[in-house]
Amino acid sequence: MNFWERLGKIDRRIIYLVVFLGVIIPILLKVTFRVEPMREVKQAYEEVEKLPPGSAVMISIDYDASSMPELQPMLVAILEHCFKKDLKVIMLGHWPLGLPLGQIALDKVAKKYGKVYGKDYVFLGFRPGVAAVMINLGKEIRQVFNSDYKGTPIDSLPIMQNIHNYNDIGILIGLEAGSTGDMWVQFAQARYNAKIILGATAVVAPDLYPYLQANQIVGLIGGLRGAADYESLVHVLGPAYLGMPAQTTIHVLVVILIILGNLGYFATRRKK
Amino acid sequence: MANVIWTWIAAGLTLAIFSFLYKDNPFYKLAEHIYVGSSAAFWFIYLWYFDVKPKLVDAWLQNTGFEKYILIVPAILAVLMLTRFIPTISWLSRWAIAFTVGMGAGLGITGALQGFLVPQLQATLLPIWVNVSDKFTVNLGYSLNNFILVVGTIATIFYFYFSKEHRGGLGYASKVGITFIMIAFGASFGYTVMARISLLIGRLFFLLHDWLHLV
Amino acid sequence: MRREVPLFITFISGILLVIALFIPHKPFGNLEQRFNDWYIIVSGFTMILGIDSLLLHHWNNFKRKREGWIYSIALMLAFFITLIWGFYSGIKVGSPFKPNASFLKYFYTFVFVPLQATMFSLLAFFIASAAYRAFRARTFDATLLLTAAALVMLGRVPEGNRASVYLFGIALLIAAIVLLLEAKERVSTFEKLLHYLGAAVAIVLIYVQYRILPSYLPQIADWIMNIPQLAAKRGIFIGIALGGIAMSLRIILGIERTYLK
Repeated sequence: MNFWERLGKIDRRIIYLVVFLGVIIPILLKVTFRVEPMREVKQAYEEVEKLPPGSAVMISIDYDASSMPELQPMLVAILEHCFKKDLKVIMLGHWPLGLPLGQIALDKVAKKYGKVYGKDYVFLGFRPGVAAVMINLGKEIRQVFNSDYKGTPIDSLPIMQNIHNYNDIGILIGLEAGSTGDMWVQFAQARYNAKIILGATAVVAPDLYPYLQANQIVGLIGGLRGAADYESLVHVLGPAYLGMPAQTTIHVLVVILIILGNLGYFATRRKK
Repeated sequence: MANVIWTWIAAGLTLAIFSFLYKDNPFYKLAEHIYVGSSAAFWFIYLWYFDVKPKLVDAWLQNTGFEKYILIVPAILAVLMLTRFIPTISWLSRWAIAFTVGMGAGLGITGALQGFLVPQLQATLLPIWVNVSDKFTVNLGYSLNNFILVVGTIATIFYFYFSKEHRGGLGYASKVGITFIMIAFGASFGYTVMARISLLIGRLFFLLHDWLHLV
Repeated sequence: MRREVPLFITFISGILLVIALFIPHKPFGNLEQRFNDWYIIVSGFTMILGIDSLLLHHWNNFKRKREGWIYSIALMLAFFITLIWGFYSGIKVGSPFKPNASFLKYFYTFVFVPLQATMFSLLAFFIASAAYRAFRARTFDATLLLTAAALVMLGRVPEGNRASVYLFGIALLIAAIVLLLEAKERVSTFEKLLHYLGAAVAIVLIYVQYRILPSYLPQIADWIMNIPQLAAKRGIFIGIALGGIAMSLRIILGIERTYLK
């Protein structure tokens, strides 16, 4: 096996090691890169920015720990924005395994801004049935969520006093790791005209561009890069922003790997 | 102190799973099975606290009259669903399954029709010439983009039209379609790489930050 | 009874939702809301079925001492410990999901989340390895896919534009060399010419990308996502939506009955 052929047959464990180092080194060296927010993220930011203080924002946790590194920083940045602007946050979700992640972040950021549970924010929790839940939320929230996650009837919570359906919500923000975002658009937006922003993992984000162009959603925050953009827009530089140099390093590495693989391929093909 | 111990447990589990990269081993297998078992239990707990308890138990205790007794219908459907566990009457579970399947189909039609097809087709009806600026080149750029978007959408639909052989006009259209599809798959692949790397960044950040306090 | 009743239930529940879309007033609107509410309750029980078959499978593994039965014990233990912990925590503080509940504070945060998150982070290694192994510029379509992927990958990260010049430069240079070498082996003059032409284009592109990519790569990635990518995705999803509607109609009308088996 000559040099060119060997290029096409690098052991996978060497590749793993290089990937591992490519992530670790930039983090350890604390490199930072300036990010220029993408258009669709700016759009999302401005929609939230436009809301008058006291408006309600509904945030849906439709992800779990398997995509936490992308969506958790996004959620924290959005919550920071909401509480800074004195917006009321109503949280619910469709992914049981991940909902506590939303709740933990909500409690933490609310505490930082001295917000009161039941008055400034509420965690409704989960009901199974996705589309059925979304349709019924458009009729009357109380019919779906008779109580919050602690079992407190939601009529006794001041924040819910004048909130009955999507008409009383300024913006609905869905954080998506699967197809629940499509459902939000197809049921809450199409049927009840709810204004929607979607934040999504990078796997899901490309599929959501048709909604953006059709104005079915008013903003799109995609992947860790989107989260880093939002962090920089609200001036809270968190894990997404700090992760960008590692992200760039590995993207460059993957392109190099593709080139090496092809070199090896063409070299062996010519030999044959 | 408790947090320190728990962080070590979390780090241990993280490393046990990473050990799979070297080769499959008992630590990885153990961690994997713990994950599957506990997530099943987690579902169970969640369904009790966010479905059965508030929607059936609490609702039964709080409601009166018609609203109370109508709950018997979903309760019966739920019990029928569980007859699956008893072979002799398991056919009864089909009644409950039929209900969820029917609802799923109904929701599927309404969502796809009202929520996707109509608005997406409307958004594809774009003007061939756009007049947004005094500059000809800017207008040309926008118009060209509209043109590409419309052609790409239609060509892609043609590519998936299998009722007729892809020859002649349809053949050309589907060739254009596959070009667009390749670009889309490439973009999706790029984004998928981005997503997977982000997950690793998150985990290694946990090890370096929360566990080892290096950053 | 065994077939007719389920088919009837499916028809009624499905058709009601379709009618309610067009006539959202009484009685259909209210009925739709009622049916949705029942669906919310019943679909929770569907998930219990899945959990049961998982446990049964591992119980059998253990009973018959199939390979890896030790892990089946671990799985069942994990299931019951989690279950007991959750309900214990729930009884103690009212709900296992209150911030002060030990279930949320310890089990969820330090056991469950790390396991799930790490499991999926392994994919980072696999995708890097797959990119190296599987992405070959064999045909025009494959090359197009690769190029789009590389443009998006580098265009969507900060500083990616700077690196892109070198990477694309090298890739194009390799392409030119490969084309020149292959041209020699072609017999027909036309194919030879085609290869020389390709090599020339690759060399010109080296200069073009050197001038364009450093400043415009982010915009190029943006354009790919918003125009050609979007067009193809829309086409694909329109196809899927049409197929979904057809399938749903078949189910409601009782033509498709596989779910009754």
